[in-house]
Amino acid sequence: MLKAIQRFFRDRNSAQTARQRLGVVLMHDRLDISPDLLEALKNDIIEVLSRYMEIDQNSIRVDFEEGKDYTALVSNVQVKRVYRNVAAT
Amino acid sequence: MAGRTIVVTSGKGGVGKTTTIANLGTALAKKGFSVVMIDADIGLRNLDVVMGLENRIVYNLVDIVEGKCRIEQAMIRDRKLKKLHIIPAAQTREKDAVQPEQMKALCQQLAEQNDFVLIDCPAGIERGFKNAVAGAQQALVVTTPEVSAIRDADRVIGLLEANLLKDIHLVINRLNVKMVKQGDMMSTADIVSLLSVPLIGVVPESEDVVVSTNRGVPLVHERGSRAGAAFQKIAARLNGESVPFDDDQDGGFLSRVKRIFGG
Ligand SMILES: Nc1ncnc2c1ncn2[C@@H]1O[C@H](COP(=O)(O)OP(=O)(O)OP(=O)(O)O)[C@@H](O)[C@H]1O
Ligand SMILES: [Mg+2]
Repeated sequence: MLKAIQRFFRDRNSAQTARQRLGVVLMHDRLDISPDLLEALKNDIIEVLSRYMEIDQNSIRVDFEEGKDYTALVSNVQVKRVYRNVAAT
Repeated sequence: MAGRTIVVTSGKGGVGKTTTIANLGTALAKKGFSVVMIDADIGLRNLDVVMGLENRIVYNLVDIVEGKCRIEQAMIRDRKLKKLHIIPAAQTREKDAVQPEQMKALCQQLAEQNDFVLIDCPAGIERGFKNAVAGAQQALVVTTPEVSAIRDADRVIGLLEANLLKDIHLVINRLNVKMVKQGDMMSTADIVSLLSVPLIGVVPESEDVVVSTNRGVPLVHERGSRAGAAFQKIAARLNGESVPFDDDQDGGFLSRVKRIFGG
């Protein structure tokens, strides 16, 4: 009984945790993207975007989204200001 | 005769490849098929003891490829089943004593004379794996419901597909229904959806497996063992029989899988 109550109050069961962790690990394994590579990718995106607009560098997020038959790379970043006359620079 | 060549592999060690081979080979031979099981785990010979045939070994796989004996001389007949044989691995040799091309040729030759050639793959993804996979047309990937085993299975599936071996089925071994129901073990449906490979069977965690290994008599010889029954079902599915996936092993999750794969 006590065990059942403890189980009830655990915020989530370990199988669910395992499933979620594995989902992420497998995606990275399959894409062969290490956390270091992901960090490098983020920095490159920041660098390119910064040429055109002022962005909040700390707000950038890069995620992989699994659809039924595709994997999408979704990057979100907060834009502070877009520069004028970008084409000229 | 053009028999089928099937490798049993896993990536991670100790998840039940040898146990699976021994039981599937025995179950298929009991159905009347002629079966040869090759122990490709050179240096870590095991299939012989699991089958209870360790005292009969004279020649081994490396002796065959080195031309030291004929294939038939290295084939050891099972104690009970006439059409069941094993080719033991060499115990004191290195994995590179065999070349993938040699394995391919041997498997082809054996498949001409038998219904099934089952290859017991070593753990890992190096040389021994490449040898074991070289002669196979079909693969069974064994995993347990654990994070590391599933991750390694995914890696192996990727490597098999890259080797153009695309006929792959999944065996989930050591499932503990009680833990699945408590939410502390991933279910069959979880594992199948993570790996996206069709399921061919689920074997429960069972003390019977240890007892049968102690005796050197595969479980499928025994009646009333759930793990043994699970292996029998996998053998039947390998043979193309449509055996329903039932709910009892997985607390209801299997019916969902069944719908996905039309099993
Ligand atoms: N369903 C099961 N229930 C309980 N124990 C099991 C089960 N399946 C396998 N085992 C045990 O797990 C151990 C490893 O099994 P086995 O030797 O078949 O694995 P393997 O994948 O061939 O290992 P290796 O990678 O070393 O070749 C053995 O002691 C076996 O008895
Ligand atoms: Mg083994």
